[in-house]
Amino acid sequence: MSDKGTESAANGAPQVTENSITAGQNDALIVAKDVTYSYRNGEQVSRGVKGVDLEIRGGEFVVVLGRNGSGKSTLAKLLNGFLVPDEGTVTVNGVDTADDDKIFDVRSTVGMVFQNPDNQMVASVIESDVAFGPENLGVPRDEIEERVTEALETVGMESYRTGSPNRLSGGQKQRIAIAAILAMRPKAIVLDESTAMLDPKGRREIMDTILKLQREKGMAVVLITHYMDEAIAADKIHIMNDGEIIASGTPREVFQNEAAIQRAGLELPVAAKVALNLKKAGLNIGFALTDEELAEEVAVALTEEKCESK
Amino acid sequence: MRIEVKNLKYVYSPKSPFEKVALDDISFTVDSGDTLGIVGSTGSGKSTLCRHLNALIRVQSGSITVGDIALHARKVDLKTLRKQVGMLFQFPEYQLFADTVKKDVEFGPLNFGFSAEEAEAAAKQALELVGLDFDEVAGKSPFELSGGQMRRVAIAGVLASKPSVLVLDEPTAGLDPVGKREILQLVTELKKGVTDTVIIISHNMDEIAEFCNRVIVLDNGKLIADTTPDELFNHSDLVDKTELDYPHTVKIKRLLAAKGCTLDSPALSADQLTAAIIGRAKG
Amino acid sequence: MKDISLGQFYPADSFTHKMDPRAKLVLVVAFIVMAFLAKNFLSYFAVMICVVSAILVSRIPITKVLKSIKAIIFILVFTGILNLLFYNGDTVLWECWRVKITVEGIIFSIKMVLRLVLLVMGTTLLTYTTTPTAITDGMESLMKPLKYIKVPVHDIAVIMSIALRFIPIISEEVDKIMMAQKARGAAFDNGGLLKRAKALLPVLIPLFVSAFRRAEELASALDARCYNATPNRTRYKVMKFSWRDLIGVIGVAVFIVLVVALNNNFWGAYEAVPAVWWLFSV
Repeated sequence: MSDKGTESAANGAPQVTENSITAGQNDALIVAKDVTYSYRNGEQVSRGVKGVDLEIRGGEFVVVLGRNGSGKSTLAKLLNGFLVPDEGTVTVNGVDTADDDKIFDVRSTVGMVFQNPDNQMVASVIESDVAFGPENLGVPRDEIEERVTEALETVGMESYRTGSPNRLSGGQKQRIAIAAILAMRPKAIVLDESTAMLDPKGRREIMDTILKLQREKGMAVVLITHYMDEAIAADKIHIMNDGEIIASGTPREVFQNEAAIQRAGLELPVAAKVALNLKKAGLNIGFALTDEELAEEVAVALTEEKCESK
Repeated sequence: MRIEVKNLKYVYSPKSPFEKVALDDISFTVDSGDTLGIVGSTGSGKSTLCRHLNALIRVQSGSITVGDIALHARKVDLKTLRKQVGMLFQFPEYQLFADTVKKDVEFGPLNFGFSAEEAEAAAKQALELVGLDFDEVAGKSPFELSGGQMRRVAIAGVLASKPSVLVLDEPTAGLDPVGKREILQLVTELKKGVTDTVIIISHNMDEIAEFCNRVIVLDNGKLIADTTPDELFNHSDLVDKTELDYPHTVKIKRLLAAKGCTLDSPALSADQLTAAIIGRAKG
Repeated sequence: MKDISLGQFYPADSFTHKMDPRAKLVLVVAFIVMAFLAKNFLSYFAVMICVVSAILVSRIPITKVLKSIKAIIFILVFTGILNLLFYNGDTVLWECWRVKITVEGIIFSIKMVLRLVLLVMGTTLLTYTTTPTAITDGMESLMKPLKYIKVPVHDIAVIMSIALRFIPIISEEVDKIMMAQKARGAAFDNGGLLKRAKALLPVLIPLFVSAFRRAEELASALDARCYNATPNRTRYKVMKFSWRDLIGVIGVAVFIVLVVALNNNFWGAYEAVPAVWWLFSV
């Protein structure tokens, strides 16, 4: 459905149309091959990422986990051409992000939301802010209207349309920031620590929004975070440490890789932690990701050993 | 140090169309040795309340006594008060300003009348408390440090004045898990001799449950509970009536109870919960 | 707390509020010209009628407008006294050394004060009825022709829009940093000028650091939203001239003609009525 959007998006801007990126569901959308990037500050060189291979398919929910300084934000910025690899390549639907002529195709295909919602808004009226992206792409006016409405409805902020962003909560502001990206009708959205500054309610709002985008709108979502509990619903997790991906897999696989988690300085969700400790203590408990799963496992284990005797 | 808040009320922009009651008839006391958690959703008045405690916001009506200082008096000795009540703001690393870490940490002590030598000694002690090597970081610019280190420098900047009450406004916000652990361990460490009374604002119920011995709940400017974490999470339904969450451990315990396996433990930390389940399994 | 980004904007549902900001900007300029054209009391009176009727149409309480005059009361008194004492007139009422008060001086200083009052009333009416955002949009649109002499009109407009957006954020941040430093014993309100300026460093430095950090993230955010992707940028909000704007333009034009006519004594038409004639002549 978003294919149609991208085509008409480009109507007013022929230079964007020619290379308009089209990707079907489940095709590789973003491909990073052996990517290395270092920051240079005069003489000083500090490594951002090293030898990273990554593939993100259409409609996939991928979480990149890592502590501060692990290179996860650098990786995010490589995914839509904010940074260009020193070595290796990143392609967005076959278009190399190093190709300057096609950079806007890349950026309108892979949208990016940042950490601080306050620093992403350019207008003092919400609908004008959401319209900013499509305006820049030269989308015709009637269609901007349609896109603004759709984007605001998707994030559940339609009723704030003509208001000012100043009075909103962090979660609401961040939803506006997401809407502003959605209005460009991208195929993928990268959230670079977009939940880090929010309170639990705000984080929940963003997680609900992300899941909706992925499940209902078929968008690929890349969430960069250090909260492991946000990764539970992911299709795939990558753990980064010191610029490298040290573990990848489904949440179930990765969460049981205790060595990698410890090395990366991350912390398991409470349920997983308790499950592992119980297992170590000799209880017959499988793995648990969520509180519900743990309760189920424990209840079964206790019934076997104790509860039934009562 | 004992803090007594009585019938505190605060209105923003009184007598204007933008008038808003931020605090409504708040009364509670904090005793020496308490680690008090203040919880409530964003906008419930937590920050406004805390800013009263060292007179960054002056009392409009009601009274506050910190030790023997009356904050509702017409004249308050701000220096003495602010030396005693240290306050760490949200994202405190954004308030660093000096060209060296040492100067930044000494800023408070010097303002509070420490001599140069005393200030340096205090800075050294504070930096070491937060786990930074004085000789290594003292001469560095605070802006060269990592995010977690900057936060610790900022905390040292508050600790250096040797406050007897420490107010922390979401001290772990934005930190990664390791950084979070470090800060919370520091708070536990501080309680063993440096600062006897700690007040923590937090949205993270797991932290509150594990680290606080008392908790107050604010809702829309009103104080709706003044109790212990055990009482709040295990023996009342107050959490359900607000936008707050249960700690994960308590959630698990409740889920288990629903399945017919009740645990006696308050389950306020992962360790407590694990121990309770093991205990139950083994007899 | 009032939203600082709204400036003086006074929300109401009125004719003036609904006017096109471009029309309002042009009309304010026309009004300023009108106020400077006025020469005699009758033409001043016409200008006053013009501004009062505009206020009535805008549904802004008159007390609100008068408050903005209160803000410049010092300037008014200063202008009044200066002109009163130093105007070179002939009909001397009182003289002392080089200072003299003349009838002409009194009349002139009344006119000057009146002109300032009218100017303030007219211009604040713009800020009361138009949000800063709308004013920016209006200015951008009016500046469009400058594109042809290579003025980056759109970039300027984006800069203005961002500035407006960040005023409340930065002001909140200043508050917060000041509080944090106060908590560490900083005092901002005692000592001499130099000491006070120095005391502000712990506020200004974090503020600059944060402003740069924000600027960096904002720049990325602009890139992420394909800023400058195409020269054929479209506009979501298009301002439209309406009948209201036409009425406004006609109204102000009529008043300008009236002022000019009154200045010239309707080319002699009222010489027959002595009282009116006197008003014309001063």
